[in-house]
Amino acid sequence: MSDKRAGHSHGSLSIDQYAYGSAMRSWNPSFKIITAAVFLVCVIAMDRLPVSLLVLFFMALTVMAGGRLSPLRYLRLMAVPLAFIILGSIAVAFDFSLSRGGDYCLFLGFFYISATGKSLLEAGSLIVKAFSAVSCLYLITLTTPMGEIVGFFRKLHVPKLLVELMYMIYRFIFILYDSERKMTVAARSRLGYHSLKASWYSFGRIFSNLLVVSMRRAGAYYDALESRCYNGDLRFWEDKKPVRPLQVLWALALGALILALRLFVG
Amino acid sequence: MRETILEVSHLSYLYEGEHEALHDVSVSIKRGEQIAVIGSNGAGKSTFFLNLNGVLTPKEGAVIYEGQAVGRSRKELNRLREHVGIVFQDADSQIIASTVYQEAAFGPMNLGLSREEVKERTDRALRYMDLEAMKDRPPHYLSGGEKKRVSIADILAMKPEVIIFDEPTASLDPVNTAMLEEVLVKLGKEGRTLLVSTHDVDFVYRWAERVLVFEGGRILADGAPEEIFRDSQVLKKAHLKKPVLLEVTEFLVRKGLLGEGLYPHTVEELQKYF
Repeated sequence: MSDKRAGHSHGSLSIDQYAYGSAMRSWNPSFKIITAAVFLVCVIAMDRLPVSLLVLFFMALTVMAGGRLSPLRYLRLMAVPLAFIILGSIAVAFDFSLSRGGDYCLFLGFFYISATGKSLLEAGSLIVKAFSAVSCLYLITLTTPMGEIVGFFRKLHVPKLLVELMYMIYRFIFILYDSERKMTVAARSRLGYHSLKASWYSFGRIFSNLLVVSMRRAGAYYDALESRCYNGDLRFWEDKKPVRPLQVLWALALGALILALRLFVG
Repeated sequence: MRETILEVSHLSYLYEGEHEALHDVSVSIKRGEQIAVIGSNGAGKSTFFLNLNGVLTPKEGAVIYEGQAVGRSRKELNRLREHVGIVFQDADSQIIASTVYQEAAFGPMNLGLSREEVKERTDRALRYMDLEAMKDRPPHYLSGGEKKRVSIADILAMKPEVIIFDEPTASLDPVNTAMLEEVLVKLGKEGRTLLVSTHDVDFVYRWAERVLVFEGGRILADGAPEEIFRDSQVLKKAHLKKPVLLEVTEFLVRKGLLGEGLYPHTVEELQKYF
């Protein structure tokens, strides 16, 4: 409901909205982040195709079923890193050389592209591993609003300056995004983008203007903070979200499955 | 007579090297007064408010809260800020946290209260502004009117004696403007001291019991609405329009349809005379 009203529903900001709407928001954020991180390490350190596949499916299923995110949205988000992952695996899968070689070989004018069965399998498992790692990170970002993630960093005793900067940057993204959108619409209504040259010009003006806007905003913000007894220490209310037995069971189940796979499949 | 809660004596404030933003302002505010602050943009209203709440400290003169001049120490300033709250004009420049609940709890958290007390105050403020249903939502996806309500809940949660609203109706639609007026009336009935800056003279005329007119960093006039708006000198100097209801009243008096000295502040009050 809120996405329509604010009109931010496109682009990477949608991740933010999904996090707020997630049914897994009531889970303890530290628990989610730590478990996801542990399984992320498992995937990377074990480097086994079955483990990667298992974690990938388990994480995807958790976010979709547990967090009530529609599969279509999940897959669309999974497609975001697709290009990077495929480009990265091409180098692993294929060999470029001036002489024939490998199990499969393609002659392209003056050089050969070749691949071996082993290299293709390696590339395949690399792709799965990468997606598996992404699925662990998505478990965090798609179910935990930014404020809670930053709250976790505070608990880890990340320096106060960094934590507060994260809060401020997060809040400012939306304010600057709004200002930028308004200015772009205003520029467009005056034919600011009718040609390439004009577009570059408008783009430049808008961004220099954004700097001025942010400076002014920062001043107003500071006044508002002070008026509410801000003492140089940003402290936010954090809801107590106890870890529930079922959630621990969920993590243990995945751990047990990974262990079983390692023991019986290898 | 009601006791004085907040007093400003011979206050001057200067913005970095520039012209004086406030010059020799003296005013005394009584507990429970409903005050409208009017005057053109740049007349010094916002600067006056920031001085009242200790965000800005006067160059000369003093702010006196409950009989005690407020010093410059953090402790004294925070005491003033706790008791005098400002709802800023632009809710987006005030809202800092990433959920509505955290936002309303921010002030009480800064007061160093216990967790239960913070929760109690935040819950009450959210209930007061009818925001309970959206307490877990992020403020950046709320509408303008909802953001305004959040920014008011922010201040209510601090339980201030005096609440200042800096141009609260700017950029609000009629529905939300009506909501805001209701809130102001309700707060007034509960005995809170309110200062509201606005450009809407009709609102001032029906709501305020006292009007401060700012012009060029000074207080040009201070009095009951019917005094202020009948003073043609003041209206001219401060570029103010006469409230429609006052015009109508004066017309009726001229036509002999209404007795002299009657100043109804609402249409309902006017109707009662007939």
